[in-house]
This record gives sequence, C-alpha cells and structure tokens, in this order.
Amino acid sequence: MGTVTALRPKEENRYPGIAEAPRFSCALGGAYMATLATFGAVPILHSGAGCGMSQNFGQNFAAGLNGAGPQGNTSTPCSCLVEEHAVFGGEDKLRALIQSTTELVRGDLFAVVSGCVPALIGDDVGAVVKEFREKVPILHVNTAGFVGNSYKGYEQYLDAVIDQLLTPQTVVRKRVNLLGVVPYQHIFWKGNLQVLKDLLAAVGVEANMIFTEPDGLEALRRIPSAELNLVFSPWSGVPAARKLKEKFGTPFAVIPSVPVGPKDTSQFLQFLARRLQLRRSRVEAYIAKEEARTYRFAEYMADIAMMALPNAYTAVVADTGTAIGLTRYGSNELGWLPEIVIVTDDPPEESREEIVRSLTEGLESAVKPEVHFEIDAHKIRLLLREHTVQLVLASSLEKYLAVDELDAMQLSVAFPAYDRLIVDRTYAGYRGGLALMEDIAYKYGGPL
Amino acid sequence: MTIDLKANTCPNREQRAGAINAYYGKATDLVREVRAGSLVNQEREFQQSSGCVLNFYLTTRVVTIRDAVMIVHAPVGCSSTSLLYREVYRRIPPSEGRPTDFDLHWLTTNIDEKDVVYGGADKLRHAIKEAQARYNPEAIFILASCTSGIIGEDIEGVVAEVQAEVEATLVPVHCEGIRSRIIQTAYDAFWHGVLKYLVRKPVKKQPDLVNIASMLSYTWQDRQEITRLLNRIGLRPNFIPEFATVEQLRIMGEAAVTAPICPTYTDYLSKGLEQEFGVPYFMYPSPVGIDHTDEWLRTIARFTGKEREVEELIREERATWVPKMDAIRADFARLRPDGKKVEILGSLGQGRLLTQVPYFEEIGVSSPAAIIQDFDNLVLDEVEQIIDQAGDFDVLVNTFQAAELSHITRSYDPDVALTCPFQGSAYKREKGATRIHALRGDARRWSAQAGYKGAIAYGNFLLQSLKNKAFQKTMLAKTPDTYQDWWYEQTDPLHYIKKEA
Repeated sequence: MGTVTALRPKEENRYPGIAEAPRFSCALGGAYMATLATFGAVPILHSGAGCGMSQNFGQNFAAGLNGAGPQGNTSTPCSCLVEEHAVFGGEDKLRALIQSTTELVRGDLFAVVSGCVPALIGDDVGAVVKEFREKVPILHVNTAGFVGNSYKGYEQYLDAVIDQLLTPQTVVRKRVNLLGVVPYQHIFWKGNLQVLKDLLAAVGVEANMIFTEPDGLEALRRIPSAELNLVFSPWSGVPAARKLKEKFGTPFAVIPSVPVGPKDTSQFLQFLARRLQLRRSRVEAYIAKEEARTYRFAEYMADIAMMALPNAYTAVVADTGTAIGLTRYGSNELGWLPEIVIVTDDPPEESREEIVRSLTEGLESAVKPEVHFEIDAHKIRLLLREHTVQLVLASSLEKYLAVDELDAMQLSVAFPAYDRLIVDRTYAGYRGGLALMEDIAYKYGGPL
Repeated sequence: MTIDLKANTCPNREQRAGAINAYYGKATDLVREVRAGSLVNQEREFQQSSGCVLNFYLTTRVVTIRDAVMIVHAPVGCSSTSLLYREVYRRIPPSEGRPTDFDLHWLTTNIDEKDVVYGGADKLRHAIKEAQARYNPEAIFILASCTSGIIGEDIEGVVAEVQAEVEATLVPVHCEGIRSRIIQTAYDAFWHGVLKYLVRKPVKKQPDLVNIASMLSYTWQDRQEITRLLNRIGLRPNFIPEFATVEQLRIMGEAAVTAPICPTYTDYLSKGLEQEFGVPYFMYPSPVGIDHTDEWLRTIARFTGKEREVEELIREERATWVPKMDAIRADFARLRPDGKKVEILGSLGQGRLLTQVPYFEEIGVSSPAAIIQDFDNLVLDEVEQIIDQAGDFDVLVNTFQAAELSHITRSYDPDVALTCPFQGSAYKREKGATRIHALRGDARRWSAQAGYKGAIAYGNFLLQSLKNKAFQKTMLAKTPDTYQDWWYEQTDPLHYIKKEA
C-alpha cells in the first residue's frame, strides 16, 4: 500500500480506454454541459436518474467548484429510467416529462439529451421530440454515454443545433462565432469567451460567444449570419465549423488556442485584421495601447516572477488549447523552460501532429517540450516522475503529487480543478498572463 | 429478514423494506400506511435528476477505501464524480489524525460502442489484472452500471474466473443505476459484497472494538469526537467504509457491537454481521445532540461491559457541554421575542429525521415539516417514538426533487431552510438558509455535528444562519426563478404525481 509500482515496460495495451481517472465525462455529460451553458436552454435528460446529478461533481464542480446554475444538477428534468422502462420502453415517461417541463420550467429552448438506456433499449426519442416541435423550440441531442467523452458531446450538441434549429440568414459583415471553447472541460470557458468578445469588439468585430450570451436561443439562431467562424482549438469545434461551411457557406479559421498574453493576443488581432479586412490603423492603435499598459503592469509582477520562478522548468498537463496557450506564454514571455507537456483531452489521431507542432515550434526557449498524449492519471504521474521540473501547470489531480513527488509548485489550470473557484477568471488576452502570474505567486507568496 | 449471501446481490429496498420516495401527508398516516403495507410508490410525471444506485454514493466513496481499487464497469461518464479522489482526504491535515500512507486508485473500463455490441467481459478481465499489476491492492471493487446490466455482462462469471489469477479479493457490487428507484439500495448492494467477500470468520473477538459505519455527511471532526469519547472508556471505533483499510472491513466480525450513525445506511450491514458472525447491533439513537449522545454511549457500553465507565464519562462531559447548550438555547429564544420558536426546515435522510427532530427540541427550535429522501419500514418504531415526543408533523418524501423542495420551502416559509447543494434554488429566499451538513473531507471544527462537541458546534452554526440574510435575499431578488409562478400558487408539492404505481 502507498506505493506505485512501475508499469511494465512497453507492454502492448489492448485496451487503451481502460484508464485511471480520465479527465472528462461522457458524451451525454458534454451535451448536457453545452445545454447548461446556453442561457435560457432547459436540458431534459432521457436517462437513468443519476446522469444529471453525477455530472454536478464530475463536470460543474470539477471545473473550478462551479454550481450547475438554475437548470443544472437536481434542477434538471430527467426521466429517471429504471428496469421497467428498460423492459417496456421509456417513451411514455419521456412524453409526460417533456409536457410537464414545458409547463413548469422557465425556458426559451428545451434540449432533450438521451443517454445510454434509451439507446440500448431502442426508444424512438426523435419521434417523441417531434410531437413537441410545433409547440416549443426543442432539440434532440441523440447521444449516449458509451459513444464518447464530453468533447464528443459538445460536438453532438452543436450538430443537433445546426441540423434542427438553424436556417440560412443574411451574412452580417464583421460578425463572427466563437467555437472550440468547450464549457466546463475548458475550465476558464466563461472568462475566455468574454475576453475574446471584448477584444474583438475593441477592433470593431461583433462576436457571438454562443455560450453565456444573455439570450441563448437567439445566439444559436444567429450562428449562420456570421462572416467567419473562429475555432479556438486544433480540433474541438472543427467538425461544427466544417458543417457550418457546408450548410451555410461560412468560412472558418482555426486558431490553435485562446491567446494568452500580449504577444499571442496581438498576433491574433493582426491575423483577424487581415482575414476580415479591418482598418489596420485602428487595430494597430489598439494593440499599441494594450501592450503598453500590459507591459507597464508587468513591471509590478516582474520582481516576484524573478524571485519565484526564474527560468523554471515547467510541466503542463492540460487539454490541448490550455496546453498550447500556457506553454507559449511561459516560453515566449516569462522565460520558462517547457520540459514536458501532457495533452489529456484525447484529441483525434489526425490532429496530433499539428498539436505537437503548436507545442514545439515558435518557442523562444532553448528547451523544447517532450509531448505526450495520455488520459490515464497513473501513467501521467509516472511520466512526470521522469522529469525534473519546478512548476506544474496541471489539473488538481496533480496538486499533491507535484509537491510531494516532484518537489515543484503546482497551479490548477485544467480540468478537473477542485481546489479553486473559477467564475470568470481567465488567462486569455492581454491581461491573461498577468492573471496567471497572480495565481502562481499566490502559491509562492510570503515575505522575502 | 434473512440475508442471503449466496445470492449475487441484495433485494432492492422496495422489496426488502417497502421503500417509497413519493409521499406528502401526516407522519402518522405515513407510518400507518407503511405498517399496513398499503403504500405503493408512485411515478412522477415531472421528475428531476436525483442520483442513481451507482452515482449517489458509491463512486465517490468506495474509491476512498485506502488499499483497494475501484473499477467502474461502465461508460466513462459514470465515474466522473470519482475525479475528486486524490484530494478529498488529502486536504485534511495530518495533525488532525489523517494517516499519511495512502494512495487511492480507480479505473474505468470505458465501455464504448464496440463493447455494447460484442460485450465487455474481456475488457473487465484486463482491467482487473491491470489493477492488480499496477497497484497491488488488498481488494478490487467492481461496480456495475446501467449499461453493463442491460447488455448482460456476466460480472460474477468474470470474478469467479479471474479471482484465481489475482491476489486481491474481488468484490462485485451490483449497483446498476436502473435496478431500483430507491438510491439507498446502493448501501445494501455494497454491504452485500463486503459481507459476502471480505468479512472473515472471527479468529478472536475484539471486545473493545465498535463498528461504526457512517455516511459521507458526517465529517472528519465527527469521527475525531467519536474516537475521543470511545477512547475515554477504553473502546476503539472501527470506522467503515470511507477511508478505511480493507483489513478494517475484514475484521468487522470480531467487533463487540455495530453502532449506528445513520441507522438505515447501516441496516443491512448490521443485520448481516449479526446473522453471520453474531455481532450485536442497535439502530437507535445516533450520537447527535447531547441526550442522544448519552444514550448512544450507554447502549455501546451495555454491549462492551463499560456501564460504570460510561456514567462517569457522561457526567464529566455533561458538566462541560450542557452549560454551552443552555447558552445556545437562550440565544435561540432571544431571536424570537414573541415567545414562538425559531422554525427550521431541513431535508434529511430517514436517519437524520430520527436525530434531527430531537436535536431541534434540545436547542429549542421547531420544524414545521420534515422532508425525507426515502421512507421504508426499517425504522417505523423509532419514527413513532419521534411522533410521540414531538407531535405529529407534515412529511414530504422526496429524493432531491428540487421543484418540490422549492415549493415546500416557500409554502412553509421557515426562519431557516437547511439545504444541501442538491436542492436547486431553495436557498433563494427572504429568510435565512444555510447548509444542512458538510461532507467528510471537511475537517474544520465549524462543520462538526456529532457527539457533544458537534451538538454545540452545530447549534452555533445554526445561530449564525439567523444573523444575516443578505445573500439569500439578494439572489432571490436578482436572479430569475427556475419555475413558473403557478407552481407556487397551487398548494400541492406533489402536483405531478401519477396516481397509479
């Protein structure tokens, strides 16, 4: 007890899915979270009774101690299927539940998210949902826990929106949609979206965050009117962007991560100025103003940065976007040495080469990180032990082992983060890097 | 009732104890109907997610058994609540008595589309061997799920076959989410596995050992307080199952008595230990409040031959704590100069009903109604005893149904509503609200509820809740309600109950 035996070397794993504590929930979880992130949308789970409540600890709370909001957790309508439904079908129960929910719960949009049980017993959920289409705005996200993880559920939600809700619209110049920021899995999702929206507004671009927009249904419906879709991940949100291109002809651009700190933020704005043909002088004036302020303010953190973590060897254990954003900021602005990066969100094989490039190219540091893709918390721990690092930017799963086993400082920046409250905290944009340093220095803080 | 350990699992609470989770009426009527066996559970036409057999309790707590591994044979989402495993007990400082040599582990078999078609038995086999090779545990708990159940996974078959190849004791737990409407069936399903596979025939009795099975809602300080009290009369608590070692589960048959903190949580285990190993048990009272702590200690003392020592302990403890309790009672009385009692509405398990009603009497507050998660025939005599003491009261039986809880909270309008994070927006109100309890990982003295220290800590905690309502009022004013107005205008919290089963 108490010790971790080393893995047998290089043994073929026939079942890579078997893992200790993978850092996501299921596809139902992801679709459910996306619904909760759409303000005014009411999720209706057609599933076992635990599929909503368990996500409270496994998704909301895990994403920086968040409550699930007015329609989440035990406030979420659920058909609470048991054995007799598995035998006789759950359609009647669902029909009664949709009817009662539309009477009782305030909402502009109802999203039926169907889980493992109806998928296995063969309920015709689509047919039941169809009965309500004339009466209320309603979606059916036809998913199941066993079809994939939370990231898959996010895609399936957008897919259902595109297929069932969206109609062609007149394109509005300088309007963009923000895709690829996955609610809860990306723990800074709320703040990231808001910072991007504000940043774009400053250069005359109207961004639709989709999630956390005050009128969620309207935000969804507006999606086809964008001039461009911006995807802030090499892979999350890309299927939706492709589908929107096919269906409505909206072009899209993939930005590997939400930009962290002035360098990447300015570069992003310059890219956008070219892509959307914005007035260059306005964009450059904004960049100059923001950079001046940010670097002047960086003077306030410079002393502690030099004392606490000068040229620190870092390990990053995070989802793709967070890993790229923080690795680049640390390496290109703070002078850190990115020793190892472990990407934990199980990106599709075809995007991995691109992710490795984003993590290893364009870094000022002489040290380039060793990049791993790993979902198994045990293997992640063993990988980290092979490296000497001084700062671990990771999930709170690494909170204690970073200190006890690696003798390093740790900050929770990725899912799950059970050790900090994240309401609208973010490391995005000009001020984001300073926010990161504020949080790191809190761990270090004390009189010198 | 005989517990059949040859069976793969326990009967559901519905069958075993006539359990229901939908009722609104007088406590006397409820008891009468349950006794007569005339009460059938009712289906709701509006229902909210409320936990399942796997995912109310088991995934977050089986994983805390210190030298075991939990394998959840399920799609990946069914164990996402277990992501808290590395932190939940680690936050407790060793200075508070937390052991330092532990390392918790769990695995998901990550059932996918292929497994649903071709079966996941081979994957489960592999996961068990992987767990053995990686962590060398004393036991491996294998938790079933809706999906493993519906696709007909033969978990027993896999266990029988693989047990010979691994050193750890394999313990299957049949906790398929869809098996029961009563989430408390999870406790019995877990205890069944523990009794069947882990508890060994006692080689020698340990006359000073007291089994105490407790729910996650009793905190670390409660455990410390109980340890302090039992140690003072020469007894040792065996706290199971959370954060126990597998050996602690194995030796339960050697204990002198099994004592309750939450009687309906412990029921199946207590009865099983008596039936199989002759360990006596009692169901009532639990150590909440000063008087009940006295009685709880006295009952344990009767089983352990500590009658004389316990009287001395109680005398000394009362001298310390009763004056503090008097002060709390006086504070509550001062809060209502009209001479009426402060009203507190709490939502409780059956076990908490039995402890909280008398505790409220002790601190001098009243409860306009009781909200109980589930109700069955396991503690009928005790509930009747409560009714005799406190008078008849309204009861809403409801497992985390947030709309019903919001409704009843608004209609009874108590001075303080005790809510847990599962109660939707019932905390948004004109009057006070606070949490009903903390959880095990919370090691602050502030969060204690059990024993003498807990009685005082909790009394003071409740007093605090009456001193500022700004948060609740502001949230009520500034955020929309989840439900339409008509919900609160009609009078029946069970408006959406379907009249047939």
